[in-house]
Amino acid sequence: MKCAMWILWPSFLMGGVAEGVFFTLFDPADLHVFGNPVELSRTAVYTLGFFMFWLFAAASSSLTCFLQRNGDEPSR
Amino acid sequence: MVRTAPLKVVKEAELLSAEASLYEIRQKIYPRSVSGWFARWRVALVMATQLLFYGLPWLTWNARPAVLFDLAARKFYIFGIVFWPQDFIFLAGLLVIAALSLFLFTAVGGRLFCGYACPQTVYTAMFMWIERKVEGDRAQRIKLDGAALSAGKVLRKAVKHALWISVGLWTGFTFVGYFTPIKILLGEMSHLSLGPWETFWILFYGFATYGNAGWMREQVCKYMCPYARFQSAMFDADTLTVTYDAQRGEPRGSRGRSADFQAKGLGACVDCGICVQVCPTGIDIRRGLQYECIGCAACVDSCNQVMDKMAYPRGLIRYSTENALKQRMTPSQMAARVFRPRVLVYIGLLAVIVTVWGVALVLRSPLKVDVIRDRAALMRETRAGKIENVYRLQIMNTDEQAHRYVIKASGLSNMRIKPVAPVAVPGATTQAIVVTLEVDPAKIKPGSHNIMFHIEDIEQPAIRADEKSRFIIK
Repeated sequence: MKCAMWILWPSFLMGGVAEGVFFTLFDPADLHVFGNPVELSRTAVYTLGFFMFWLFAAASSSLTCFLQRNGDEPSR
Repeated sequence: MVRTAPLKVVKEAELLSAEASLYEIRQKIYPRSVSGWFARWRVALVMATQLLFYGLPWLTWNARPAVLFDLAARKFYIFGIVFWPQDFIFLAGLLVIAALSLFLFTAVGGRLFCGYACPQTVYTAMFMWIERKVEGDRAQRIKLDGAALSAGKVLRKAVKHALWISVGLWTGFTFVGYFTPIKILLGEMSHLSLGPWETFWILFYGFATYGNAGWMREQVCKYMCPYARFQSAMFDADTLTVTYDAQRGEPRGSRGRSADFQAKGLGACVDCGICVQVCPTGIDIRRGLQYECIGCAACVDSCNQVMDKMAYPRGLIRYSTENALKQRMTPSQMAARVFRPRVLVYIGLLAVIVTVWGVALVLRSPLKVDVIRDRAALMRETRAGKIENVYRLQIMNTDEQAHRYVIKASGLSNMRIKPVAPVAVPGATTQAIVVTLEVDPAKIKPGSHNIMFHIEDIEQPAIRADEKSRFIIK
């Protein structure tokens, strides 16, 4: 439970920061995916963007949590 | 550092007990209700912050919401000011100001923010108030949770959760109302025509509120909050904290109201345990300053009531500082320590940043221009033998009123510009204008020439922008 909090919460905060900085600099209307313009509304791109940033930050936090376990704990 | 673990055969039972100690099992906390001076302050701050939060989106200014973070149009409206993505630095500055203010308050008053204004505290206070109205105070709640499943228990729990979820959803709705005009949002909701993303965010924020204030509570402060961990860096021996005066209180012990406790060798603490029962994070303040303490002063209020009943002087638990306690300072001596170097540095930094920020905001030009050369052709020859270059000017009027601008160009002799007529740009919009410059090639040698566009407000010539570009002749 605590580990879940340590993964989800800091990554949520960083997801918010990344979202703010990224979308201040880039307008979703100008983004291209593999050369094709994104056809979603700005609100949709903001939402998906936030969850993508959160997911990546959570992946990083999970690795940190995982590597912090010391070797003699059983790995599960 | 290399640590070598001694090799040994670990028995299953040992492994299990080791695992059990790795995770603290959360003891549910049943805070007892408090009344008193600090509790009233908290109620006042809950009211003030929530009136602001729930009320702001409904205010109107210039026939639009007074505060609107219009993400879809990439514009933030805050009363008379419109922020564009280019004004990012102002929002960054505001964050720096907020952080420095927090440092200042923390250095002087300890965890004032945690105890009175943090959303986690505020929503937990609201949710606990609902809980108390539905399920009763501490003793009744403990009894209810321990009781066997019955219709009455299910009803009380259902009412509590329904109320919690309603507050949560209203909070989510208000939150989304900062990004979509709230009256439109309400209209959409009553017609059941809410957009999928708005629906999602209302639910997401609503359930985050419900989860954090209803279920997580003190665990957010203990395990999730980074500020709780680093605030000790801003503390010093003159910072106000909720403190138990051990010198006066110990040795603690129960006694009759009329007993001469000093003759019995006892301190002022009657060991009633009420300070522990009211604590929202479940700590015993008599063990000294602990990082779990959010400085809410619930124990101060409740201990003062006990002291009153016993006819002892108040303040066995009080806001005090480490130095004040050690040196038995008077309140005025304590107040004199407020203006110490650390605090003065914070005040100085804050004053400088607020001034720079305010001046920059006032002097902010309501006109921004981007010049882009036409990508299709470098240059064009007209029938009359003149050379033309084409540009796209993005004129941003960041003001709320419409403005009319005249566009001029300089840098080459006898340069003619089209259009000549002024351009009208409505309030808070961007307009793209195609501008053509024309020169006589006979008088100018081939190559790339620096030129300058001048965009000027007709009525207020002080509002102007100069943008560089290049004119190309082959």
